[in-house]
Order: sequence, then structure tokens, then C-alpha cells
Amino acid sequence: MSAAALRFGDVRVGDEIPPLAKVVTREDVKAYADASGDQNPLHQSDELARAVGFPGIIAHGMFTMAHLVSCLVAWLGEPAGLLRIRVRFRSAVFMGETIVAGGIVRALDRKTRTATLDVWVTLERDGVIEYPIKRSEAEVRLA
Amino acid sequence: MSLNSALEGKSYPPVSFQVEPEHVARFSSAVGEDGSFVPPTFATAPEISALAQVIADPELGLDFARVVHSGQEYEWRRSLAASGTLSVTPRIVAVGAKGRHEFLTVETEMRDGAGELVVLARNTLIVRGEA
Repeated sequence: MSAAALRFGDVRVGDEIPPLAKVVTREDVKAYADASGDQNPLHQSDELARAVGFPGIIAHGMFTMAHLVSCLVAWLGEPAGLLRIRVRFRSAVFMGETIVAGGIVRALDRKTRTATLDVWVTLERDGVIEYPIKRSEAEVRLA
Repeated sequence: MSLNSALEGKSYPPVSFQVEPEHVARFSSAVGEDGSFVPPTFATAPEISALAQVIADPELGLDFARVVHSGQEYEWRRSLAASGTLSVTPRIVAVGAKGRHEFLTVETEMRDGAGELVVLARNTLIVRGEA
């Protein structure tokens, strides 16, 4: 990482984590299936995905979670600062959609120099905001 | 219930997972990272390699066609290395029903060659009930 690690003294409760957007492509999801080993056909076969009511293949929940982690690491400037994450998967993500990861600082602990974050991933579909990841949280250590 | 709740607490044999720099690079690229560090979520790859035996456990009775990934948790105790061997041990920590649906939570420990805990993962699956 080129960015310096985010310092405890520079963070306040209520701070927004800069949102990170990404367009989900079929190529990325295929590459993720191969790299993660998750070969569930729901992420590879349009035919199977349609049979269970989706317009085509959907992204892995873990693919969306990895994007959320990229957003947090970019903010932290240091991947080792991420201590814990807990996510709930809600809406499915379709190919070509734009997922936006974000979060807010909920609490700070001066003794441990850690922060608790509320985190999420949203997308807009037919004018409605959907939450592929909703009401989730992370704990990070600041420098 | 179609899931066997008697399996709550069952541990599975550890699976040895070899971390290869080439694999880490492919994973980094797939999640849009530049390869300058091991993505924390690379832990998903060893986790999935060990979950296979839980999913396929005939005693558990998991119908994978009805499974939805409902939640995921990771605790990183140390940074993942770009090479080396991880010992990956899954354990069923919860089996239950919620309305028409059933759920299963598997906790997976990943330890390095020295036996130190690197990552703890918790994966919650929901098995959709038949309408």
C-alpha cells in the first residue's frame, strides 16, 4: 500500500468511509469463481439462475464482501488494520450493476486504538436502493 | 427439519491448504486489487476448500440446491502470508430452524505451520423451505 496508515487521532465518530463503486462484470465473477474455488452454478449458468427466478447469473456474496473489504482497506491504508468483519447478505447482484461499498464510524476505543464501523454495500435497481450487504459491522485498528 | 441437528458441535478433519503466490495474485486480480498485499478475503479460498467435506457430509442432509449464503464473518488474528501451508478445520456450531427455513453455521479455524491461529471464519447458510 502506498497510502499511510490512518491514525486514531484523525478519526471521529460519525466519519464517513469514502464510498467505493464498481461495475460487476461476468468476467470478474468468473475469475472470482476460479480464484475462490466457489463453483456454485448459480454464479456461472444463466439457465440455472433463471430457473430459480433471477434474470441471469448473480455475483457471489463473497465477491461483494471482498469489494467492501477493498473499500475499508483503502480507507485504512493498511490491510493488517482490519480485525473483524461480519456481514449479512440481502439482495442478489446482477451482471452490469454498480455496487457501492461504504460505512460510517460508530464507536472509537482510545485504549485499543480501534474503531467499530457500520458498513454496507448498496446498488440502485429500477430507481430503488437495494442492499446486497445490509446492517453489517467491522472492527479496525488505527495507527 | 431436513438438516440433522445432532451434528451441532461436529468437527471435521483438518484440510491442508497450500498458499501459492500465483493463486494469491489471481485472487487479488479477481477482486480488483493491485497485488501489493494479500487481500484479507483470500481466507475465503482455504475456507471453501475445507467446507466441501461439510457440504457433502451424508449425515448432515444439506440440499445444496436450496442453499442461500446468508452471512459471513472473519476475524483476522494475523495477516495472511502469500505462501505457506494453512491447516483448515471446520466445525458445525449451529443448526436450527427459522420459520419454514433452516440454517447452518460453520466455524472454520485456519492455523499456520507453527499452529498459530491466523483467521477464524463463520459462514451461515440458509436452506430455503419448500413452498
